[in-house]
Amino acid sequence: MRDIKVKSDSKEFLTSSDEEEEAVQIIESVSIRESSLSVKSTPEIEKKYVHRVYDAIAPHFSSTRFAKWPKVAAFLESLPPGSVILDAGCGNGKYLGLNPSCFFIGCDISHPLIKICSDKGQEVLVADAVNLPYREEFGDAAISIAVLHHLSTENRRKKAIEELVRVVKPGGFVLITVWAAEQEDTSLLTKWTPLSAKYVEEWVGPGSPMNSPRVRNNPFFSLESIPETEVSAKEQKAENSQFIGLESIPESEESTREQKGESIIPETKASIVEQKDENSVEESLEALKKSQQEYFVPWHLPYHRAEVSGASASALASGLAKKDDRKGAVVYNRYYHVFSEGELERLASGVGNAMIVDRFYDKSNWCIVLQKAALNQD
Amino acid sequence: MRLITHNMLSCNIKGVTNGFPLRIEAGNVIEKEVDFNPDFIRHMFAKIEWKALVEGARSMGYAELPEDSPDAAVLKSDEPFLKKLHHALLELHLEEGALVCPETGRKFPVNKGIPNMLLHEDEV
Repeated sequence: MRDIKVKSDSKEFLTSSDEEEEAVQIIESVSIRESSLSVKSTPEIEKKYVHRVYDAIAPHFSSTRFAKWPKVAAFLESLPPGSVILDAGCGNGKYLGLNPSCFFIGCDISHPLIKICSDKGQEVLVADAVNLPYREEFGDAAISIAVLHHLSTENRRKKAIEELVRVVKPGGFVLITVWAAEQEDTSLLTKWTPLSAKYVEEWVGPGSPMNSPRVRNNPFFSLESIPETEVSAKEQKAENSQFIGLESIPESEESTREQKGESIIPETKASIVEQKDENSVEESLEALKKSQQEYFVPWHLPYHRAEVSGASASALASGLAKKDDRKGAVVYNRYYHVFSEGELERLASGVGNAMIVDRFYDKSNWCIVLQKAALNQD
Repeated sequence: MRLITHNMLSCNIKGVTNGFPLRIEAGNVIEKEVDFNPDFIRHMFAKIEWKALVEGARSMGYAELPEDSPDAAVLKSDEPFLKKLHHALLELHLEEGALVCPETGRKFPVNKGIPNMLLHEDEV
């Protein structure tokens, strides 16, 4: 409650910076709502824009997923014969069995994808990578390939890493790859939808958690009144001001900050900085920075594929998917949190009991190899 | 689902402290032949929880494994034993049935060989 009061007080001061302030609020309110749930509880956005989408596109997705990344293959081939390898978020199972001298067990939250694996004779089950139904230390190694970027909060991404470490033996290796914000083909980014504006549109719809009486009566959640177009403009502004270089200002040099604030940070932004305590400024900036990593990435399901799937008809009816007649495809949006440079390492280094032993960038992905601490010999 | 996987699976419902091993309710069990690899079986022997394996195998209709975990020395020479272990771990498949949490009794269905270990909202 106290936060809310401070927030509304500061708003009175900040008439000229309302737009940026509100953009920050959108992001903050989303994260506040999420923080009240268990880290293992799946947010609606993942259910709708990850799980349901993969369920609907599974056969087509699978038919396009056969190329194996050489670096993942090299990791798997480096493991000793007889290793038990756990693939958490195995998709269509393209890495299962890649090293024939090892035993693979895959899991994915999408039943249709797991069915595809099972039909190929692979050992698989339906499970959530954030909450693996495995006892500790059974695996000799684990992999998580292109999975973490589908988790919508930092806590959940971290939890997924903790789970991978938990289920491998002491000394065991874990390979994690995620989509990078720094894409080799930058033109791809123009095809993606930055999320925040969409977030608002989708999350204030009927039945969304944002529409509960508790949220409605809370002045902090004042999202419904903001038209989408305005939000887009705000988003852009907020992004721009952040882009100027707020994140690069050293925390300790207060006077430098203010000088810089006058020259490169818009006046209004600087006054926000003064109104808030250090922590909330950090959080707001962090939230803004995060917001640029949240995207909807389209998946084009060709009409001839969509026709055979009942899922597409209901997805179209419910608005989950849209038709694109020019491309002759049903278009689904998939939620992505793309990782900035160093983010995966930072997340993993917060996980106890494991060390980062390798890190690399490969085909627009950030990748790390973790090694779980070995047991004491005595 | 093979017993090698069953030996790893554990009920992860919030608050459950003893979710292993899951009790197997066998509907339909099938067998599929797999090439025998003694080194792999020896490696697995060190990993597996013996009692869970024996009980799991029994509930799937295979009672050839000894009640108590054999001495590791057996693994060096006793090929018939290794083959039994191989059969239990890799060749038996639970096609239809359920896995039951020993603490809460929650049933996880197994259909067409695929266990569904997803939890409900109020279980996480």
